[in-house]
Amino acid sequence: MLTRAVISPLENLGEITSLFFGMIRRLPLALKNPGLLFQQMMRMGVSSLPLVMVISVFIGAVTAIQAHYQFRHLVPDTYLGTAICKFVIIESGPVLTALVLAGRIGSAIAAEVGSMKEKEELDAMTVLNLDPLRYLALPRMLAGILVFPLLVVLADCLAMLGGWAISRWNFNLTTAAYIHGARFLFNAYDLWIGLLKALCFGFVVTLMGYYHGIHAGAGARGVGEATMRSVVSSCVLILVLDFFIVFAAY
Amino acid sequence: MNASTPLIELRGLEKSFGKQKVLAGVNLTIHRGETLVIIGASGGGKSVILKHCIGLLQPDGGEVLVDGTVISSHNFMDVQTIRRRMGMLFQSSALFDSMNAGENIKFAVREHNPEMTESQLDGMVVEKLNLIHLSPDMQTKMPSELSGGMKKRLGLARAIAMNPEILLYDEPTTGLDPVTGDVINDLILDMQKTLGVTSLVVTHDMVSAYKVANRIAMLHEGRIIFIGTPDEIRTTTNPHVKKFIGN
Repeated sequence: MLTRAVISPLENLGEITSLFFGMIRRLPLALKNPGLLFQQMMRMGVSSLPLVMVISVFIGAVTAIQAHYQFRHLVPDTYLGTAICKFVIIESGPVLTALVLAGRIGSAIAAEVGSMKEKEELDAMTVLNLDPLRYLALPRMLAGILVFPLLVVLADCLAMLGGWAISRWNFNLTTAAYIHGARFLFNAYDLWIGLLKALCFGFVVTLMGYYHGIHAGAGARGVGEATMRSVVSSCVLILVLDFFIVFAAY
Repeated sequence: MNASTPLIELRGLEKSFGKQKVLAGVNLTIHRGETLVIIGASGGGKSVILKHCIGLLQPDGGEVLVDGTVISSHNFMDVQTIRRRMGMLFQSSALFDSMNAGENIKFAVREHNPEMTESQLDGMVVEKLNLIHLSPDMQTKMPSELSGGMKKRLGLARAIAMNPEILLYDEPTTGLDPVTGDVINDLILDMQKTLGVTSLVVTHDMVSAYKVANRIAMLHEGRIIFIGTPDEIRTTTNPHVKKFIGN
């Protein structure tokens, strides 16, 4: 039992590493099937837009309220834009968006691939000499890497907008003061770090979705558990990775 | 390779899943042009044999040879080369849900033959649909719109799309009514006659086995305990076989 408890995580790590290098090796092949990549980008990007738009506006709004509450009697409200901009670009934009997308995209990949495994579609691909890593995993991984940063940029903009709305109407801060605050201490480096995070999170979420999908157990329960594991592992890895990126960058 | 060499040969094939030994030394030869049917109880390892023949599973012991090439090794290119000569009809049909019927047939052919034009691919789809007696209009249907029998036929059309020499059938009539099951049996016979393929069929449906088989092998407790023609199996004295075929 103890041996299993030690070996199992090591096995998982080995398989994930092998999957990672398998996809890296197949990267040049992605250009041979641009249609598959485009299809995945549309599925991930367009279908996630409403969700990302809604959560981003509220993240910005909540950040504004929290910042105002923390600042009271200490910092003037003219710095609300500064606090919101910094927090949204470095942390809440990439991290919260990725956590939500782990539930939206990671779970969808795990359920789809798990269901394909259950219905022998993965075996059928192998029999037809259609490498599942190339035709299933690679387009999803690349789409994740490309779409997550785009969604995060949109999320950042909308969160700033949400923060502005609350600052403007709740705390009577003028638009000019909000923009001035946002531009004050703005550093492009923060934006790049946020985008780097989004790129890494996009990779992790799609990798976990695919990995848990191909290891789904039998039946609806097996697919359900694979979906759950993909979301949980993605969320944990997003937060761990966030720490390491922030630790290295600042 | 001459015609008398077995096209597929299993030598002492062994496979376990966890502590359960499913195959305990299976020896079997399938000759060019014949249809061999493997019968046996559900969960007895019949499909496991099939998956070893096409390299989906690796044996714990023994080896699988296809046309003299050992495919039960980790030599990836060899397995890929051999798979190009094989087609497989899955128990669940295993159609790609996200593609329509025509795309299901075309997909692998397009990927492996990039020089083929779309009109050539369309022609190939119509030809394959004709072979399995389905109307060309079917190609725009999604798998979810098809009945169980039609899915099996479409799965067969996809399996023959690359013009294989060997066809593997995993429980081709399971889950079908007797009339539809018989249509599938006729198609298996058609494939042998019109395309000259060598077939390995796994089933527990004795009506199907008697109809399509040149030889029948029975798998029992991980070993082949009987192999012979349909006439020979009807008159066998082996108690396990007699019990299974209901004599």
